[in-house]
Amino acid sequence: MLKDREMEQKLRNEARTLLEQGKVDWIIGFEAGSLKFSTTPLITKDKNDTERLVINPFIVNNLADFLTGIKGRVGIVVKGCDSRSVVSLIQDNKVVREDVVILGVPCTGLIDLGKVEKLTGKYRDELDDITRQGNKVTIRVNGQKKEFPATDVLFDHCLACELPTPKEYDLLLGEPSPPIANPLAQEKIEKLKQMTPEQRWGVWEKELSRCIRCYACRNVCPACFCQRCFVEETEPQWVFPAPRWQDNLMFQIIRNIHVAGRCTDCGECERACPVNIPLRSLTREMYDIVDELFQFKAGMDKDAPPLLTHYEEEEAEGIFR
Amino acid sequence: MANKKINKKDIAKLLNKWSQEFAVFVPSRESGVAEMAKWDGKDVSFLDWYRNTIVPPKANFLPQMEEMFRFQKDKEGYKIELPPDGAKQLIFGIRPCDARAMAIIDANFKELYQDPYYLSRRNSAVLVGLGCMNPSESCFCTSMGVSPAESKDVDLMLTDIGDEFLIEEVSDKGRKLMAKTTGLKGATKNDEAKAKEAKKTAYDKVTRKLDTEGIADKLLASFDDQDFWEKVAAKCISCGICTLLCPTCYCFDINDELVRQQGTRFRNWDSCGFPVYTKMPMENPRAEKWRRVRQKVCHKFEFYPMNFDVIACTGCGRCIRLCPVNWDITQVLESVPAKARVGK
Amino acid sequence: MTATDTKHQRFFAQNNVYLPHIAVIEKIIEETPGVRTFHFNFKDKKLQKEFSFESGQFGEYSVFGIGEAPFCISSSPTRRDHIEFTAQRVGRVTNALHRLGVGAEIGFRGPYGNSFPLDFLKGKNLVFVGGGIGLAPLRSLIWNVIDNRKKYKNIDIVYGARTPADLCFKYDLDAWGKDKSIKFVTTVDRGDESWKGKVGVVPKILEEIAPSAKNAVAIVCGPPIMIRFTFPVLTKLGFTPEQMLTTLEKRMKCGIGKCGRCNIGNIYVCRDGPVFSYAQIKNFVSSEY
Repeated sequence: MLKDREMEQKLRNEARTLLEQGKVDWIIGFEAGSLKFSTTPLITKDKNDTERLVINPFIVNNLADFLTGIKGRVGIVVKGCDSRSVVSLIQDNKVVREDVVILGVPCTGLIDLGKVEKLTGKYRDELDDITRQGNKVTIRVNGQKKEFPATDVLFDHCLACELPTPKEYDLLLGEPSPPIANPLAQEKIEKLKQMTPEQRWGVWEKELSRCIRCYACRNVCPACFCQRCFVEETEPQWVFPAPRWQDNLMFQIIRNIHVAGRCTDCGECERACPVNIPLRSLTREMYDIVDELFQFKAGMDKDAPPLLTHYEEEEAEGIFR
Repeated sequence: MANKKINKKDIAKLLNKWSQEFAVFVPSRESGVAEMAKWDGKDVSFLDWYRNTIVPPKANFLPQMEEMFRFQKDKEGYKIELPPDGAKQLIFGIRPCDARAMAIIDANFKELYQDPYYLSRRNSAVLVGLGCMNPSESCFCTSMGVSPAESKDVDLMLTDIGDEFLIEEVSDKGRKLMAKTTGLKGATKNDEAKAKEAKKTAYDKVTRKLDTEGIADKLLASFDDQDFWEKVAAKCISCGICTLLCPTCYCFDINDELVRQQGTRFRNWDSCGFPVYTKMPMENPRAEKWRRVRQKVCHKFEFYPMNFDVIACTGCGRCIRLCPVNWDITQVLESVPAKARVGK
Repeated sequence: MTATDTKHQRFFAQNNVYLPHIAVIEKIIEETPGVRTFHFNFKDKKLQKEFSFESGQFGEYSVFGIGEAPFCISSSPTRRDHIEFTAQRVGRVTNALHRLGVGAEIGFRGPYGNSFPLDFLKGKNLVFVGGGIGLAPLRSLIWNVIDNRKKYKNIDIVYGARTPADLCFKYDLDAWGKDKSIKFVTTVDRGDESWKGKVGVVPKILEEIAPSAKNAVAIVCGPPIMIRFTFPVLTKLGFTPEQMLTTLEKRMKCGIGKCGRCNIGNIYVCRDGPVFSYAQIKNFVSSEY
């Protein structure tokens, strides 16, 4: 946690300086939220607000989501996964590299409060505090300390993370951290892959029956930046507007295809879902399929062309006959 | 009429008795998501973990997706058919915040034109309230005129007094139900005292506060303050979570479906947060995010009170708990300028 | 708010306010390439006889299986052998409507909304200002007034569209042009070779004609931009905000004030409108109109 405090101070100074010197119009980072352990995006033009910037194991949001909706130059705080989203937006020509100052946070994984609640059997506001020391996480409840391996409480997508430290940045706020790449992350997806198609269909019927079509999964995603989403079209009506599970599934399938090659597995869609639908089981599998078919991972190289909207003449070999 | 009580171990028996007359709904949890679901006849484990549901009980009266009518075309033309009446519902374990919310939105569905679907469900349902002994940090019900463990908006009110629940009759419907429910012990003076104590403890546990004094006037004065509303809306991502899962939100959409010559008209939840909500062919008055956020806040704390004399919020805290960016209505309302900064 | 409006209760199908009555299309007029007027009657002959409405009110029209959309009733309550509405092809429901032929069955719910205040208009000089398809709600009132001519004083009509091809209700325009008790002017933003009438946007032509504001009421209907430029012209001519009426348009679904969509502040266009005076609009708590 000490590293977090040092990074925080460095970040606050840099953010203030960037605004003071007029190098950016906005700073987008994290500040303390209004609930225990929560953080919330800080989007500001005021240099005095930079005092509130924080770095801790709960900075969950993918702030690249705000880049396509903001005008002006932005100093943005990103972890590894988010930085890849920024690069992906640059590849898509939605963001100009010179318009962003990337403030990179080397990430050691974020703590999933859902997992904490399940492990402790307590609601998050009933916990005293949660601290991380390397491979261990200590949770204090009613004065009693309990220790857990960090892999028990980190998000699945953090366990799967291949790039916790941003590759593309203007300032790296701390020492790079190594990938975790823990096989536990793929457990859910592996289980699904073992099932028959009928069984998998049954799983998704059960999970997507809870969907309320809030579109939080779509709106937290930086890759979803369309002004008018296909799901809002009425002529033709691609997907029925009411939350019938088959239509909810159609929405997910089409959305996944639309973000294929641009999704960085930041896990925000699954975290944002208010009814705990395991959306990452769809998005990560698409991510793996893209890697398998095209040897491409989103947001790794800002000069690389975007995968599915670009093709070289040689690629046509054998496709057109 | 003296109050009755019931041992927590006998709740299943009680629910079984009521199941003979009603479709009984209890808090259930699947994949970690608490919702009111049809009781399976056995499981009362919710007594251990229940705080509040994620999907509010408004779903029992204004379903997420509801069939309005079916139509069929034959050689004589279109014939319209209403769906069959649903079973009478008994919602067991509804919290005072959610029960108050139902009372608040009743006004919308009764006023001028009666909404037959909502009202038939509402009128035939029995609400058995359960006092909230462990409010969440996001709850602010006490600031919205709601007590976590006391309610005039339910038919029966249960209060946790240790191994037992005290049962209070609140409405005529509740009294009628209790008259039919035999085999319950009478509550002692000691029980009543314990209940009173439990209610006060629950009330004091709600620490989040919101001052709504003069909020409608403040919002009226700040309506055109684009600067303020843009700051307020900056981190909102325009999803529908805060509205769809709010117990006092009731906006709906109507859509038809056709399969060959027959089809159905549905209604389903909708949200003023969505960009297409007010979209017309030539213009969209709320294309910008800050206008939609302003609409939501002002509807709940200014417009609805203007029409129905009650703020459309009961402090259940769901919007704060479930928002993906931790946008907080209490923080926003506290930051509304006390006096207008721009002219109208 | 008012108690349940019993005036309309008897028009509810099976006491369910969402159930449409079945209506049959009897005639279709293509006003312009994208605008059609539909003449219909109820299948239930008893309802056909009993049904009544007032100028300014609207109905919710269903194309079963596609959806429902609100359109004002564009025929006059004084001419009841059939009912008319006019729809421009802009989306899902209107596209489906335009694919229907004579004899097709549609649904109708209504009449909803408030109406033009005839008592307020009685004995006054009326200035109708219309643009494009905005003539549809005005038309109901204009024929209503003409059919009760003695109740009203002077009638001025200024109507315009973008081009001559966009003029709607050309058969009415002919009739009103021939009516000696009406001062009628048509204009287009852009003329063509055969156009002999005025050229200029409606607010500008209105300013040229300069009708007197004395004992007068102006009723304005058209695209939002036309209305926004017409109100200042009327103000310049001496009309007070109470002397200016209009119909507001907002995306609607249920038409009866339940679904929440059409609100402007605390008023619902479907329930408290669509007819409003400029004075009322200025007092809205929301400047969103």
